[in-house]
Amino acid sequence: MRKLATLALTFTFIAAACGGGIGGGDSSALAPGKDVKPAAKITWWHAMGGVNGEAINKIVAAFNASQSNTKVEAIFQGNYDDLLAKLNTAIASNAAPALVQVYDIGQAYMRDGGQVVPMQAFIDRDKFDTKDFEPAVINYYKYQDKLQSMPWNASSAILFYNKDAFKEAGLDPEKPPVTFTEVAEAAKKLTKKDGGTTTRYGFGPSIYGWLFEQLMATSGALYADNGNGRDNRATKVLWNSAQGKAILDWWKAGVDGGYFYNPGIDNAGATNAFNAGKTAMYIESTATLRNTINVAKFQVGTGLYPRPDSKPKDGGNIIGGASLYIMKSRPAEEQQAAWDFVKFAMTPAIQAQWQADTGYYPVVKAAYNEGPSKEWASKYPQFLTAVNEIRDSPQNRMTNGAVLGVMPQARQRTQKAIEAVLLGQATSQAALDAAVADINAQIEKYNKANP
Amino acid sequence: MGMSSRETRSLLTGLAYLAPSLILFVVFVFYPLGQSIYLSLFNTRATGAITTFAGLDHYRELLTSPAFRTGLVATGLFAMYTVPIGITLGLVLSVILNQRLRGINVFRTMMSSTIAISAAVGSLIWLLLFNPSLGLLDYVLSLVGIQGPDWLIQPSTAIIAVSITTIWLTLGTNIIVLLAGLQSVPEEIYEAARLDGARGLRMFTRITVPMVSPSLFFLLVVDTIGVLQAFTQIHLLTRGGPVDATNVLVYSIYLDAFQNFQFGYASAQAVILLLLVMALTLIQFRFVERRVHYQ
Amino acid sequence: MSEGGRSRRRPFPLHAIGSYGLLTIGSILVAFPLLLALSYSLMTESEIATFPPPVLPAQPSLDNYARVLATIPIGRYLLNSVVVSSAVVIGQLVTASLAAYAFSFLVFRGRQVLFFIFLSTLMIPWEATIIPNYMTIRTIGWIDTYQGLAVPFMATAFGTFLLRQAFLQIPRELWDSARIDGASSFRFFVSMVLPLSRPILGTVAIYGFLSTYNQYFWPLLVTNQTLMRTTQVGIAQLRFEESLRWGLVMAGVIMVAVPTLALLVLGQRQLIRGLTAGAVKG
Repeated sequence: MRKLATLALTFTFIAAACGGGIGGGDSSALAPGKDVKPAAKITWWHAMGGVNGEAINKIVAAFNASQSNTKVEAIFQGNYDDLLAKLNTAIASNAAPALVQVYDIGQAYMRDGGQVVPMQAFIDRDKFDTKDFEPAVINYYKYQDKLQSMPWNASSAILFYNKDAFKEAGLDPEKPPVTFTEVAEAAKKLTKKDGGTTTRYGFGPSIYGWLFEQLMATSGALYADNGNGRDNRATKVLWNSAQGKAILDWWKAGVDGGYFYNPGIDNAGATNAFNAGKTAMYIESTATLRNTINVAKFQVGTGLYPRPDSKPKDGGNIIGGASLYIMKSRPAEEQQAAWDFVKFAMTPAIQAQWQADTGYYPVVKAAYNEGPSKEWASKYPQFLTAVNEIRDSPQNRMTNGAVLGVMPQARQRTQKAIEAVLLGQATSQAALDAAVADINAQIEKYNKANP
Repeated sequence: MGMSSRETRSLLTGLAYLAPSLILFVVFVFYPLGQSIYLSLFNTRATGAITTFAGLDHYRELLTSPAFRTGLVATGLFAMYTVPIGITLGLVLSVILNQRLRGINVFRTMMSSTIAISAAVGSLIWLLLFNPSLGLLDYVLSLVGIQGPDWLIQPSTAIIAVSITTIWLTLGTNIIVLLAGLQSVPEEIYEAARLDGARGLRMFTRITVPMVSPSLFFLLVVDTIGVLQAFTQIHLLTRGGPVDATNVLVYSIYLDAFQNFQFGYASAQAVILLLLVMALTLIQFRFVERRVHYQ
Repeated sequence: MSEGGRSRRRPFPLHAIGSYGLLTIGSILVAFPLLLALSYSLMTESEIATFPPPVLPAQPSLDNYARVLATIPIGRYLLNSVVVSSAVVIGQLVTASLAAYAFSFLVFRGRQVLFFIFLSTLMIPWEATIIPNYMTIRTIGWIDTYQGLAVPFMATAFGTFLLRQAFLQIPRELWDSARIDGASSFRFFVSMVLPLSRPILGTVAIYGFLSTYNQYFWPLLVTNQTLMRTTQVGIAQLRFEESLRWGLVMAGVIMVAVPTLALLVLGQRQLIRGLTAGAVKG
C-alpha cells in the first residue's frame, strides 16, 4: 500500500515536472520536499552589466563561502531583453538554469508559460516570514495574492531636479513641484532662452512606456482590466481613459509650449541632458540617482513623482526592476539549492550591501539598520524621497501595476502613441484609442495561444 | 532524359567539391529555413511550441496590415538613402585615395577603418554623436550657425540618422572594393583618354565610372542585401521609432520573434523578406548588370 | 603589380599639397567617430557630461581602462574571439575554395542552379535560422565549445562568390595543358589554382575574420561560461541600462577594436590587392 502511494506521488511529481508545455498557466507547481538535498551546483542567469554585475558576483562569492552544500554560478546573459530571448530558446530545449532574473514586465510571460515553481510554494513550505518585506515591492510580484518570484533589484521613478537652476529661477529649491500644473509652471520659469534657441528646458522626460505606466498609477487609474490583470487575466487595456488622455495632454502642451524637452525614447539621453544642465527637471528611475549625483556639477534634488492636480488618494507609484524565478524544469535538488540561495540573498546584511553597491533599494526593511545602508543614506540623502514615496503609496491594484502577457508590446505601443501625439500626428484621444485597439487585439491573440 | 555515365561522373565530382559547403549550408541554413517556413503556417505559444494550424493566416494578416506596409516603406527609404549615397561617397573617396603619394597607406587605412568596427560598437558611438546634449554633431553645427535637428526624435531625421550610421559602417568595405576596382584599370586606358583631351570630371564620368562598373555592381548587390538585413544600428539608435519611421522589416521580425515571442508571425515575415531580397537581386542581375562594362 | 594610382601619375608639388589637404580632411572626418571614442575613453564621466561637449580630455587618464580590466576578463574574451575567428577563416578557405573551383573549372549539370542556391544563403534573415541552429548545437552537445561558435559559419557564399570571380580569370590554357600532362583535377587545384590565388584568399580570410569577430547574438546564445565568451558580449557586459557610463564603454570599445584595426593596418594592402582584377595572374 505504501509502495503504491509512493508510486502515485512519483507520477504526480513527474507530471508536474514535465507538464510545462501542456499545462501552461499552471501556477500551482509544488516545491520539492523539505528533506531534498540541495544540488552541489546551480546556475543563475542575470542581466546586470557593469558595477551591478560586480555586485552580483560579490553576493554569489559570499554565498559560496558561507556553506558547503551548493556552489552558485552567476552568468551574465545580456540585457533584460537578450536574457529573456535566450531563456525562451533554452526552455524549448530544456536547458534553462535553476534560477533566473527576469525584468518586471516579464512576469505574465513567466507565469503563463508554466515554467516556474512559484516562490509562494517555498514560502508556504518553510513558513518563510515575509512580514518585513517592503509591501510595494512584494505586492508587485503577486498574482492572485501568491508570490510568483522573489523581488530582487527594486527601483522606482522619482522627479529629479537641479537645485541651482531652481535658485536661479527664483524657485524654492527645497520645494519641488508635485502636480501636473506645478511641474508645468516651474518648467516655464526654469526655461532659459538665448535668442531663438533654448539653452535650458524646464522639464525633459524621455518617451519611455514605464514612465507612462507610473503616471497612470499616480493618477489612480487602471492600466488594464481585471484589476490590472491581477485578479484574473487581463482582456483589455484602459489607456484611453480620461486620466490617460490628461497625461498626454499635459505632456503635449509642455512640448508645444517650448518648456518641456523631448529627448525621444533614449533614456540615457534624457539622463545626459539633465546631467549636462540642458534640462532642469526630469523623471527617471532611482537606479540612475547615484551616477547623476556623482557626475552632475550642481546640487541634485529629488521629489515626488508628478500626479494630477487633484492628487488622487488611491494613486501612487509602482516599483520597477526585476525578480528571481526558480525554474520548474530543473531537478528538485537544484530548486532546493536555488531557494537556499534566495533566502541568503534576502538577509538584511546582503540586502544592505546590494543597496550600497548598486543603488537599488533593499527588499527587506531591516536592511536599513545595517552599516552599509546607513552609510549610503548619509551619502545620498536624496534617496530617501524614493523610499518614502513608495511607502506612502496606498497599496491597491492601481499602484501594484499591470501584469500582461503582452506587456513588452504594450510598452512599445504606448511609446508610439506618445510619439504620435508629441509630433502632432494625432490627438491624445485618437492616439490612445488606436493604441488600445492594437493591444487589445494582441491580448486576445495571446490569451488564445496561451490558454 | 537519362544521364550518360560521363555526365554522372562529372556531376559526382562537382558535388564532391561542393560537399563541405553544401553539408554546412544544409545543416545550418536550409534546414532551419525549412523549419521557419513550416512554423509560418502555425500558431505558437510563447515558448515556441506549436498550438494550432494557421494555414496562410499569418501571410494574409501581414499583407493586409498597415504596419507591414509602413515597414516596407521604411525599408525602401532606408535602402534608397543608404546604398546609392554610400557607394557614391565610397567612389569619390577611393578616387582621392587612388594616388601615388608618400604615406598614402596611412590615409587608406584611416578611411577604410570602419571595416574593422562592429555594427554594435559603431552604433554606440553614433548614438553618442546624435545625443542632443552630449553630441558633438549638433554642437559643431551650432558653431556655424545651424540649428541641428533632434536627430532621433523626428521621423524624417531618424531614418536619416540611421542611414548615416549605416553609410559610415559600410564605407570601409566600399572603399576597399572600389580601390581594388580602380587599380584594375589598365594605365593605357587613361593615357589614351588623356591624349583625347579628357580631364577632370569628364575623365571621371567617361572613363573611371565605366571602368569600375563591375565593382560598383558588386557593391550594389552586396550593399542592398546588407541594408535589407541591417538590424543592430536600428536596435541601438531608434528601436524602430519614432512612430515606426525606422521599423524596417528585419527589425519587426526581431520584435515579433524575440520580444513578442510570436514565432509563426515572425517566420512569415522572414519568408517574405527572403522572397523580397531574392526578387531584388534577380532584378539587379537582369537589368543593372547589362550596363556593367566587363573587361 | 604596381601599387598606387594611375589617374595622376606625376603630381607636381602644388597638386600634392592640395591632395594631402583633401586626404587629411577626409580621413579625419571618416575616422572622427573612432578618434572621439578614443578621446572619451580617456575622460572622466563628469567631463563627458558637460556642455558644450569637449573633444579632448583635459587630463587624459587610463582609469576607464583599468575599470574595464577589473570588470570583465577582456584578455580571455580577446583570446576566444581570435581563436574562433581564425578557425572560421581556415574553415571558410577550405570550403569556399573547393566550391569556387567546382563553380569555375568543372562542368556538370545543375552548376548554375547550385550556384544560385549558394548565393541565396546570403539573403536569408538571421532571425529565421538562429533558433533552430541553437537547437542543433545543443543536440550535438556543442554549447560552450569553440566548435559551436565556429562551425556554423565555416561555409561562406560571399567568399565562394569572390573566389569564383578570381578563378575565372585564370587562363584556361593552364588547365588544358595540365590535363594533357595527366594531372588530376584535384592536383591542378592544389598545385596551380591555390598558389595563383593567394591575394584573393587573403581577402576572403580577412573578411571572414572581421565578420566573425564582430558577432554578438550567436556567441551570447551558445555560451554560458564566462570563459567561453567573446569580445562583443564583453562590450554588452560593460553597459548597464539604467546609467550608461560612456567613458567605460568607450574604453572597452577601443580595447576590443585593437586586434581588428591592427589586422586592417597590416592587411589593408593585401585586402585591396586580392580584389584587384588580374591579381591572380601573378
